[in-house]
Amino acid sequence: MAIPITVPRLGWNMEQGIFAGWLKADGAAVRAGESLFTLESEKATQDIEGFDDGVLHIAPDGPRQGDIVPVGAIIGFVLEPGEAIPALTSPAAAPPKKEMLAATERVPATQGPRRTEPASSPRARRTAAKLGVDWRHAKGTGQTGRIRERDVLALTAPAGSTRRIIAERMLASQRSTAPVTLMTTVDATALVKLRKQWKVVSDLIPTFTDLLVKLAASAIEKHPLLNSRWENDRVVASGGVHIGIAVDTEAGLLVPVLRDVSTLSLKDLAAQTRDLIERARQRKLSANEMQGGTFTVTSLGAFGIDAFTPIINYPECAILGIGRIRRCPVVVDDAIVIRDQVTLSLTFDHRIADGAPAARFLQTLSVLIEKAEFV
Amino acid sequence: MSPPPPGKDRLLSLYRKMVLIRRCEEQLAKSHQRGLIHGACHTYVGQEAIAVGVCAHLRTEDAVFSTHRGHGHALAKGVSAEQLIAELYGRATGCSRGRGGSMHLFAPEVGMMGTSGIVGPCILQAAGAGYSFRLLKRDNVGVAFFGDGAVNNGAFHEGLNLASIWKLPAVFVCENNEFATEVPFKYSAGNPTVASRAASYGMAGVDLDGNDVLAIHAAATDAIERARQGGGPTLLECRTYRTRAHAEGMGDFTYRTREEVEAWKPRCPIARLRAHLLGAALASETELANLDAEISAEVEAAHGAAEKASWPDPACAATHVFAGPARPVTTPPTPAGAREISYMQATLEALSFEMKHNPRIFVLGEGIGQRGGNFKTTAGLYDLYGPERLRDTPISERGFVGLGGGAAMTGSRPVIDFMFADFVLDAVGEIINQIAKIQYMSDGRIKMPILLRGCIGIGHSAATHHSGNYYPMYAHFPGLRVVVPSTPYDAKGLLHHALRCDDPVLFLEHRELLSLKGSTPEGDYEIPFGQAAVVREGKDVTVVALALMVQHVLKASATLAAEGISVELIDPRTVAPLDVDTIAQSVRKTGRLLIVDEAFMPFGIGAEIAAQIADRGFDDLDAPVRRLNGVHTPTPYSPTLESAVVPNVEQIAQAIRSLVSE
Repeated sequence: MAIPITVPRLGWNMEQGIFAGWLKADGAAVRAGESLFTLESEKATQDIEGFDDGVLHIAPDGPRQGDIVPVGAIIGFVLEPGEAIPALTSPAAAPPKKEMLAATERVPATQGPRRTEPASSPRARRTAAKLGVDWRHAKGTGQTGRIRERDVLALTAPAGSTRRIIAERMLASQRSTAPVTLMTTVDATALVKLRKQWKVVSDLIPTFTDLLVKLAASAIEKHPLLNSRWENDRVVASGGVHIGIAVDTEAGLLVPVLRDVSTLSLKDLAAQTRDLIERARQRKLSANEMQGGTFTVTSLGAFGIDAFTPIINYPECAILGIGRIRRCPVVVDDAIVIRDQVTLSLTFDHRIADGAPAARFLQTLSVLIEKAEFV
Repeated sequence: MSPPPPGKDRLLSLYRKMVLIRRCEEQLAKSHQRGLIHGACHTYVGQEAIAVGVCAHLRTEDAVFSTHRGHGHALAKGVSAEQLIAELYGRATGCSRGRGGSMHLFAPEVGMMGTSGIVGPCILQAAGAGYSFRLLKRDNVGVAFFGDGAVNNGAFHEGLNLASIWKLPAVFVCENNEFATEVPFKYSAGNPTVASRAASYGMAGVDLDGNDVLAIHAAATDAIERARQGGGPTLLECRTYRTRAHAEGMGDFTYRTREEVEAWKPRCPIARLRAHLLGAALASETELANLDAEISAEVEAAHGAAEKASWPDPACAATHVFAGPARPVTTPPTPAGAREISYMQATLEALSFEMKHNPRIFVLGEGIGQRGGNFKTTAGLYDLYGPERLRDTPISERGFVGLGGGAAMTGSRPVIDFMFADFVLDAVGEIINQIAKIQYMSDGRIKMPILLRGCIGIGHSAATHHSGNYYPMYAHFPGLRVVVPSTPYDAKGLLHHALRCDDPVLFLEHRELLSLKGSTPEGDYEIPFGQAAVVREGKDVTVVALALMVQHVLKASATLAAEGISVELIDPRTVAPLDVDTIAQSVRKTGRLLIVDEAFMPFGIGAEIAAQIADRGFDDLDAPVRRLNGVHTPTPYSPTLESAVVPNVEQIAQAIRSLVSE
């Protein structure tokens, strides 16, 4: 029976060696105990012993002197005289299965009082504290339902980083400005009447906010200090009147900017504003469209709010808050009459403007509103 | 008295065994070349006469302990060729179920108590088997086979001396093949005659031609008979030569010459017996040729069967680290108002009770006989049980620990009392490499019921060689139970349990606790391993402490209670196994964990507990896990220095305050 000659492992951890040549010729008679070939390992060069009597058959396509040979490779056979040469095949023995024993000390479920609040990681709680949100509202997505940092982030900013940006800007505004809010209630009856007349002829009429943005721009023309910004310890005037419109979206507050409001017709202003709001809600605004504002208008009238204290859209000087338009009894010429009223809340940076100029701006605006005076 | 020469049947049987060993080794060498052997392979070619000549006299119950070159001993003692070959092939049918390979052959069913990859321990274990046989009144012997490499090792010196002073039924067979791996014996030995060393220990030593099976057979007759008759141990030096490399695949001619090896080959012990059989007309050529062919067929069949045998199931890779599942044990609660006894008295009660009921228990140690132990651990027992069961030892820690291991493997239950845990470091190799591993290596067929006890702990200026703690080190290794009791009640119950379990137990007693008194039941009772004690219930913080630190934390907790801090104190009592469940439950309640441990911080018990709680108790934590440990330094002597390295009550209280305010 043909006995294969294999490359042995020399030492503990040899995987391959260098074949250094046969010590017997092909076809030579060999006896058990005689050396057949020489093999070099990292440690030494050794003559490799044969364990059988017979005729040496050297595989013709076997290794040549200097070739690297893997341990276990068959490089020839010891045959009985006259025996046929078998094909060179690798040893067929199935290799042992090698897999890691599953961890035996698997942690059993701990007994004891149940927690009253959902599990959360310390990192998640730290992040929640930093963002000022309640981590208990987050939905845990860890393997065991644990609230992870990502879950807290998802809670605060489902569409990504909007919330974080808002947080940073609001905080920056509060830290960097000296805000004062002035409030005044204005008669808007003329505005309401004007809109009613327009409504008869067209559906695409300006909103109250559109009207107030336009009037604010007119007021700004007369009081440019409210349109400036604080930069490097000095007041810097702005080149044009670019008014940011605060828009409530699912991702949070966005403020697209309406350029050169003074030069826009009311119709264009209304169309552009509608487009900006629409695209803000679809998250389709470019970063450019949210930059370069010089003054901001924000309205909570739709939510029934009359007055509030808006935060300045830093580094602008002021922000105008618009309340709801409501029908109220008011005294006009010693008579109580029903009028449409709106409350304006103007927050301005006292570093830039003092109370009187800000109040004068508000006064100008009030007159424009009461007269519904569009140039 | 010279024994009668062996008859034809005995000679043929010797011949048969020698040829069996040779054929097996040749097959294994060939299989190694073919890649069927996955690790080392140390063959016995040229040395067959020794194993065969000695083992011919042994009964199944006689115990053989051997070395890394042990194939021949296993076959001569009765392990089948198939079991041996399958073991080297890594198969489930191997004599060690694939756990050991060439150097770790176990077959207790035939008295093959194991071969070892470490040189020397077999000498101590054979002496230990001798101790068991004497104690159990059996006329069996323990036999150690070892090479010349072992005789310059401490185990040889300590083992032969112990066997001699106690006249143990043991035979020490040195196979002097001239090389310890590749270092020549004539270079390593100041006295190059091994047999002559026997005189140094007061025992008989015989210098033999190791390739002459008849000479070995005759000398072994005397030695084994002497041992059985109570005449004590014998050292046989058998001069021989291995004609193959130290291990298969290793180069052979860097430290010896081809000519030298070739010169030894004609001195083959098998050829020599063959010539004798033919010369004395005890067998014909045909008869021997038939015998040779029969054995070749047997080995070939063994190889075929081994190659076809199944691989061990990977699921079994970690079984039998310990003896069986723990027996269910019910522990009585600490009786309120029961009599108070000291920690020392509590352990003495347990040991005394167990010795009374279990005649297999014996104690080894320095001064534990009539003196009753340095710490009164055996006071009064010598008078009850005599010198064989309370055996004073020379200062020979490696010797008597290794001997204890051999005794535990062969039916007795040694208690090793090493006074101070520091002293036993000389024997750690025996504990870790032998005592801890043998249950596993033997696939659970050999038990290792041995108790290793001694004092630990810092205090009273004992300085660095009498103050170590060491339990984290032992707990790191699989196969050991590590017990660190902190009260008399715990110490007694745990010692009872230790003396009834089949695993090796390190029982470490803090010296500063020995006179601590506490309520302890009079009767016997067991506290199972791996069950922590909730020493004090609380709600603000969990503190885990061991040994003396338990007492310190109790005092600190009382102070803190007055400040409104409620401490839950847990004493694991055993470090291995460690009851993490109880700690985790407590942390679930308190959310805070401090581990107070006198032992060193790096890689210690605290690190282990912290890691486990970080995993399973992650969501329960309300603060980082903290540790308070002894300072990582050798223990100094002067009281001012000594107290600077151990946590004290105030430091503990401060650590707890700090953690609670995290």
